[in-house]
Amino acid sequence: MPQPDFEVVQRVLGGETAAFEVLVRQYQQDIYRLTYRMTRNAEDAKDLAQETFVQAYRALGTFRGQSRFSTWLYRIAMNLCLNHLKSSAREDPAEVDGHLADPRVDSLRVLLTDERDRAVAQAIEALPPQQKATLTLRVQQGLSHQEIAEVLDCSEGTAKANYFHAVRALQRKLQRFRDAG
Amino acid sequence: MTGCDEIRDRLLSHHEDALGAEERRRVEAHLATCGECAREARLLREVLGRVQALPVPEPPAGFWEEFGAAVRERIGAEPPPRPSLWARVAAWVSGLQGLVRLRRMPALAAATALGLLLVIGLVRTQQTPRDLPPVEALVLSEDLGIAQNLELLENLDVLEEVEVLERLDLLRRLNGGRGSRLS
Repeated sequence: MPQPDFEVVQRVLGGETAAFEVLVRQYQQDIYRLTYRMTRNAEDAKDLAQETFVQAYRALGTFRGQSRFSTWLYRIAMNLCLNHLKSSAREDPAEVDGHLADPRVDSLRVLLTDERDRAVAQAIEALPPQQKATLTLRVQQGLSHQEIAEVLDCSEGTAKANYFHAVRALQRKLQRFRDAG
Repeated sequence: MTGCDEIRDRLLSHHEDALGAEERRRVEAHLATCGECAREARLLREVLGRVQALPVPEPPAGFWEEFGAAVRERIGAEPPPRPSLWARVAAWVSGLQGLVRLRRMPALAAATALGLLLVIGLVRTQQTPRDLPPVEALVLSEDLGIAQNLELLENLDVLEEVEVLERLDLLRRLNGGRGSRLS
């Protein structure tokens, strides 16, 4: 079913390239929030969000309106984020365990005055990338399991399993709060 | 009596309102009588609430203007995007369907689709590196989706009249006002 976004895409493909800006304005904040939540670094988030739109522009001819444009865009953004996390982990093995060695890369840390929020943020950082992606898309971006499966190119069952494991891992790491009441 | 482990396995589904009515009642009945599981359910709610509420720092003033300008500048250096080869094939084939009635000329349709598939396959094979970047992979998967939708592929059983392909230009010209006579 064609969406309004699909009509904008058709205009761009028909030669009205300036119409792409409509899509950028519409989704730039959503995509930035996603890339920020995945990287927790404002500069990386900005670069990845910009790259998302550039890659979307290049690949626009392949979008056929069978999924929502936002889902298609999320897929590009998430691929970029996961690749970024992979290369960051190679450069800094400490990140694999979720212990960010360089406090400058975590601008969120300064915002979190609550100990529990800090613990939650650190627990998310320690998740395997696919689980972190699933949790982010589900809880923070509000996608359905089916949409998450489309974004991460996996089955809905896998998306649900990743979500379940991610939440379980957070609960385990935050057990001390349960014991504290 | 329902076991605590079994109930805890269902707390996330319960939180997401994804349980059936009967199971939901069973979980809630257990939570009403089991303090440990009720605490576990509270922790789950709190954790998910905090995950959802984790802030994204507000970008500085002028951020979005600069962001938009940077994207504009970068895509300005790109060639204008065009419908993918598959999308153009689909549009072209769709136009061809108006030119000839496929029921009467299945060989033309089937041979056209098969020929295009082979050509595209060759082009893709030559252009696709072993390590696909993410968007390239995305493009390929989207293209494969189109292949599944080509109704013409259902007519692959008749391939004898391949030579008709050579007359496509003639057919197109004839279609200018007299398309119906071709069917």
